[in-house]
Amino acid sequence: MPSTELFLAGTEDHDLRRLSEYREVGGYAALEKARAMEPQAVMGEITGATLRGRGGAGFPMGRKASLLAKNTGKPTYLVVNADESEPGAFKDRDVMGLTPHRLLEGCLITAHGIESTDVFIYIRGEYLHEYDVLVAALEEARTAALLGDVTIVIHRGAGAYICGEETGLLESLEGSRGQPRPRPPFPPVDGLYGAPTQINNVSTIALVPKILELGAGEFAKIGVPSAPGTAVFSLSGNVARPGNYERPLGTTLRELIYDLGGGVADGRELKAIIPGGSSVPVLTPDEIDTPMDYDSIQAAGSFFGSAAIMVIDDRVCMVQLALRAAQFYMHESCGKCTPCRVGTRWLVQLLTKIEVGEAERRDLDLLDDVCDKMLGKSLCALGDFAVYPVSSYLRKYRSEFEAHLGGAGCPLAGISPIEGIFAPVSQHAGHAEVAHVV
Amino acid sequence: MSSELVTLTIDDRQVSVPKGTGLVEAAQVARVEIPVFCYEPRLGPPVGACRMCLVEIEGAPKLQAGCTLTAGEGMVVRSAATSAKAAEGQQATLEFILVNHPLDCPVCDKGGECPLQDLTFRYGPGNTRMAFPKLTFDKPIPVSPLIALDRERCILCYRCTRFSDEVAEDGQLVARNRGARTEIATFEDEPYRSPFSGNVVELCPVGALTSSLYRFDARPWDIQNVPTVCTACPVGCNVSATIREGKVRRILSRNHPEVDRGWLCDKGRFTYPHLRANDRITAPLRRIPRGLSEVSWDEALDSAEEMLREAEGAVVTALSGSETMEIAYGLGRLLRAGLGANSAVLPEATSDTLGAFRLPLSAIAEAELVVVVGDDPVVERAPIVDLWLKEARRRGAELVVCSPSGSVQTPPGEAARLCQSLAQQRNPLGRRLRAAERVVLVWSGPGGGGGARVAELAHALGFEEKPGCGAFHLPATPNGRGVALAWSAAGDKDEANPQPIKVLVVSGDEAAADPSVRALAEDSERVIAITMFHQLVAGWADLVLPATACLERDGTSMNLEGRVQRLRRAVPPPCPDELAWISKLGDRLGVDIPAHASRVFADLAEHVFRDLGLDDIGDRAPLPGRKPFEAPAPGTASATAAPPAAEEHFVGALHLQRYRPLFSGPAVERIRELEFQRPPFEVELARRDAERRRIATGDRVLVRSNGTSVELRARVNRKLVEGVARIAEEHAADLHPSVEVVKA
Repeated sequence: MPSTELFLAGTEDHDLRRLSEYREVGGYAALEKARAMEPQAVMGEITGATLRGRGGAGFPMGRKASLLAKNTGKPTYLVVNADESEPGAFKDRDVMGLTPHRLLEGCLITAHGIESTDVFIYIRGEYLHEYDVLVAALEEARTAALLGDVTIVIHRGAGAYICGEETGLLESLEGSRGQPRPRPPFPPVDGLYGAPTQINNVSTIALVPKILELGAGEFAKIGVPSAPGTAVFSLSGNVARPGNYERPLGTTLRELIYDLGGGVADGRELKAIIPGGSSVPVLTPDEIDTPMDYDSIQAAGSFFGSAAIMVIDDRVCMVQLALRAAQFYMHESCGKCTPCRVGTRWLVQLLTKIEVGEAERRDLDLLDDVCDKMLGKSLCALGDFAVYPVSSYLRKYRSEFEAHLGGAGCPLAGISPIEGIFAPVSQHAGHAEVAHVV
Repeated sequence: MSSELVTLTIDDRQVSVPKGTGLVEAAQVARVEIPVFCYEPRLGPPVGACRMCLVEIEGAPKLQAGCTLTAGEGMVVRSAATSAKAAEGQQATLEFILVNHPLDCPVCDKGGECPLQDLTFRYGPGNTRMAFPKLTFDKPIPVSPLIALDRERCILCYRCTRFSDEVAEDGQLVARNRGARTEIATFEDEPYRSPFSGNVVELCPVGALTSSLYRFDARPWDIQNVPTVCTACPVGCNVSATIREGKVRRILSRNHPEVDRGWLCDKGRFTYPHLRANDRITAPLRRIPRGLSEVSWDEALDSAEEMLREAEGAVVTALSGSETMEIAYGLGRLLRAGLGANSAVLPEATSDTLGAFRLPLSAIAEAELVVVVGDDPVVERAPIVDLWLKEARRRGAELVVCSPSGSVQTPPGEAARLCQSLAQQRNPLGRRLRAAERVVLVWSGPGGGGGARVAELAHALGFEEKPGCGAFHLPATPNGRGVALAWSAAGDKDEANPQPIKVLVVSGDEAAADPSVRALAEDSERVIAITMFHQLVAGWADLVLPATACLERDGTSMNLEGRVQRLRRAVPPPCPDELAWISKLGDRLGVDIPAHASRVFADLAEHVFRDLGLDDIGDRAPLPGRKPFEAPAPGTASATAAPPAAEEHFVGALHLQRYRPLFSGPAVERIRELEFQRPPFEVELARRDAERRRIATGDRVLVRSNGTSVELRARVNRKLVEGVARIAEEHAADLHPSVEVVKA
């Protein structure tokens, strides 16, 4: 079975960072094809392919473009969200690092489709290597006169998760403090510099050339009808062979974790699966046959998210894991709206109290209620992202939380290999406060 | 906002509101409260930060922030009153806000008038479930000498930073750090130096930003608020004076939407402690061989009567322009009717012809084109007008400022000539002024004929026919218009100054501080001064009668729009007020002058305002309608822009431009906390002028003219027109109009 079909096609035997090699695998042919088409026809292909956003929400790209305000007297902008910062997610890193031209070609085709001449790629500041690769590729494309009248600006972020939220990204790109804006107005109407703006994830835009190449009909045959195409799945955690694997949507978690990832590392038992990055609700081992596509995973009570699958084995303490996630979201909360700013810190305090064994049963109820009070009340999704791991771990692993109570402390403290799952957050406020609570 | 209506249902009540109305306002129409903290429409677009306004909208799965939505056709909205989900959401928000908010309400200045307290009472949880230590910060932080910041109380509604950013446009208050550690700060911890900084205290919905002058001074349940009008400048912002135990404790805005929109400048807000200044005169003083000595009121009135009678009409009255219309009228009646002494030094005149182009100040915000002429920055003369100009620009208006440091650099003294050229058909800007529908002209600078000149220009441009076009003159004094009007109503003869002047009556501290009045005093045999402060009159007045402050007066005042507004006595003065002794002196000189402002006003109104009674003025005074245009009397033309005297002009000289900074004058000088707002000891030079003299910003320089020399620090002002040395009046001493600047 080929491990690369769309995103990473050609990477097995070519260095696609080079324009010449990218051309050898048919690169920029789709751009030529698109430029010979009317913009509406280009967008028609994308809409016909039901290309759903790979950033997490799965909103169809064609429909998003159809919302762009027309005749505003302002330019239309294309913004590519390359601020990949979700713990567990590293798909865009390979898409940019291995096939930068595919992203650039996608940008140029999309720009033609939405009649934009200004493209901004907002790349996570820590992705320095990928930035260099992208800049070099852009320079090659420019020299080869591929850009036409389009300007592509690659802008590095400065280390804030919130700038991956589309309006936070726009604020940051404009030079302001990275904080989300209230919506409405939505970016297609009032986006970058108040102009209509199309924002898509790297992996969404990088699929565009293949749609043009294959045609919407052929593309739609890959994956599942509700979500055609492939995704780059990032396997991490207690898995034998972590890494990025491109597979059609609808591939089951079992296939991804066992067939591709080689199963749970060190022969341990599977305890939990986080299917879409640290922010999504957890799945239990009996849900391993869930297909990884937007609708199936949602039916199972979680989200496709950034297709970052984290495998958790039986040595991991779910309270520690929740605390780790909560610390991350506390650290990354921008501070603009009340529930997220205050709630994320409260969650950390409660989870710390539970982990060290100082909590009582009523603290679990309080934890559950704080989650409830935060959910759906924040300005942007970060407040919800902070809640999903905590509330789902508590619901599905309640007995493990209860085992910590009444002075018992963590039953897995000695062996929990949590460092391998996602990196600890070093944060000025967090650590000091946690220590204080302890 | 369009005239098209949309109909929506809020808590089962149907209301129709203009399309574009915010949901919070639409709910008000339906008499439903959507509680808010961060929402404040005057601060620009909503931010949706505090989440207090969560409501349920039919069709939306999640609760929505009501403040960020506008009313839509067919929308079905449920507030906490009818939606358990919304009630729970609002309770959650309050619980979160209170998680880190210290419960120090008993010692918090805001306690008792605190939106957080009030909304917690109505929507909040009855107890707390937060058992962890609250976040702590160093406190209080002096944001400036005027404002203290308590970061623990701060709920991060961003009202203050939005004010700084989007209203005052000074960008000095910022949020820094992120998440729970987010805090309000000034950039680089510099003091918040802005003419409008005090507004953030009033905007703060909790006790995080407090006035350092009011901190711990009073509890909201033992204060009274007296509605009156600020007379620190000619805008006449509507204010409330907070009184406790007979003392003014603070000044708050009283939002007159046409005048001030709820903003005040720091001069208006923070100068009230001058009422209790150490050198306040509270009893009459008479000159003795060495200084002044207190005398009884009977003795004082005897002396005054004697001096005035002996003068046989050779009396000149110097008015400040800060008197109420009643005091000016009373003095006028006393001296003109009583003594036949008609000559007066009046404050900078504003032409009545402006009445033909009258607009409320709020109309500036609607303008498409605004042209400001004159030598002074608007903010120094009428600070709130500056905020209106900024708002106009934010809304897309083009702002053309023709001044020595404006967008169109213009040498000083050119305003009148500029008006003439704008009136001409071939002037390109003039053509645009003619073509546009909403144009505002502003004269901001000295030159007595400013009002007349700008009115002539408006007339030439055909503004009488355009209801959206208007003209303003920013006088140097708060009630100069009213004082001139009242003085002229008290008699009908104009006379040149008598020679010699037997008695000079100096009314008010501004007149007493005016060098030209001082010069007149030198030529007068005797001086009667009516002032608040000892320091001003020591050494040159023969008889001093204590003056009252505007916060101690009943009466009326006319602002720069021509709006007559009502002053109310907030606190009793420490001495009988002016009208009391004017009335008594009137009795002695055989003129009937009532001792009560309302009766004086009735008399005055009969002469000058037909049909205007105090009740018509009310708490938020209306603006009179436009009057037909009458060409200014030819006499006023001569008062225009006498070009700066070219005396002792030598090669390489710079023209000294004196300006009166906003933060100057007898009241400001008496407030220690305002010291940092006062003008630095500096001379501003254009870049080329500085380069030619090898002067850089920060250099010590000597500013010299004909034997006089002042040492100041130089500042290169890149916006300043060449050939000008700009110095604050108080630092310019007696320099002549032509100066040389050299490195010290």
